[in-house]
Amino acid sequence: TLLAGSRLLKGYRGGHVVIRFALGGCTNRPFFRIVAAHSKRARDGKYLEQLGCLDPLPNVYGEKVAGLNLERLRYWLGCGAQLSRPAEKLLGLAGFLPLHPMTVTGAERLRRRRAASSAPSVGPEKG
Amino acid sequence: PVWGPRLVPARGRKTRYAPPAKSKASRLKVPPPVDPEELLVVTERYRQHRLVLGALRAEFRAEVLQKRREALLPQEGSAELMEEHQRLMAWNDEENARQRARREERLRKEEEERNRQKLQAAESRASMMEAMLKEKEKEILQLQEEAKSFITPENLEARIEECLDNPQNYNFAIDKEGRIVRRTVLS
Repeated sequence: TLLAGSRLLKGYRGGHVVIRFALGGCTNRPFFRIVAAHSKRARDGKYLEQLGCLDPLPNVYGEKVAGLNLERLRYWLGCGAQLSRPAEKLLGLAGFLPLHPMTVTGAERLRRRRAASSAPSVGPEKG
Repeated sequence: PVWGPRLVPARGRKTRYAPPAKSKASRLKVPPPVDPEELLVVTERYRQHRLVLGALRAEFRAEVLQKRREALLPQEGSAELMEEHQRLMAWNDEENARQRARREERLRKEEEERNRQKLQAAESRASMMEAMLKEKEKEILQLQEEAKSFITPENLEARIEECLDNPQNYNFAIDKEGRIVRRTVLS
């Protein structure tokens, strides 16, 4: 029976719904669950609904696998849920949301760094 | 590393309130360097990203509200009610468009009228200014003509001699028809 002062019924002041990653798994083997929860809950604590999962380690084929429940995602976003930055980036890469600016910027910086590191190595070879 | 140890500095043995070490006395904390053009580009990208995100959220919100309304509706005859509602909304939109067209027409006509009035006022003002200028010119010319017959210190002696030589007699009577009578003595 759930009483008014029961430990299971936690009431918060303020806070909002967030869609973020909850870390699980074992040592040296992380695993994320994409979860809709109150912002004041613990990262791995009680959540409202699980909307997907993400395996950050690449598999035998070199792919990083993620699963998303787009229907419920739309529902929660329509109810006014916020997104954490890695969740935004993941959804941008998935195509559900527009690409995050920092994804593009990071890719540009990487490309520039690679060009800079390969050009001086090519230069002294020729010269 | 793809999945390496945490790259965030974690407090090891020292508490937050412990003083920093002597070897770190000359340490100068500098913020990471920022490329201004990259910053501009990134700010613009963020602005557009947030715009799109806001629009998507509005879309999803509308969907959720629609579903809730649909769930709340009475089940029997709901299809006809929805259809009628949509028909009426379409008719309302048409009416609004028609009224807007009429209103815009009226506003356009008023604008034209106002412009015409302004032009007319400007023209009348210009013509009035011209008339005034002409009047002033005429007056100046008239004054110049009259100035030839003024008495100046040089003419003074000559004019006095002239007046004394030709005495003017103002003794005359005049009746309503304008006939003048110069006879002053009855006989």
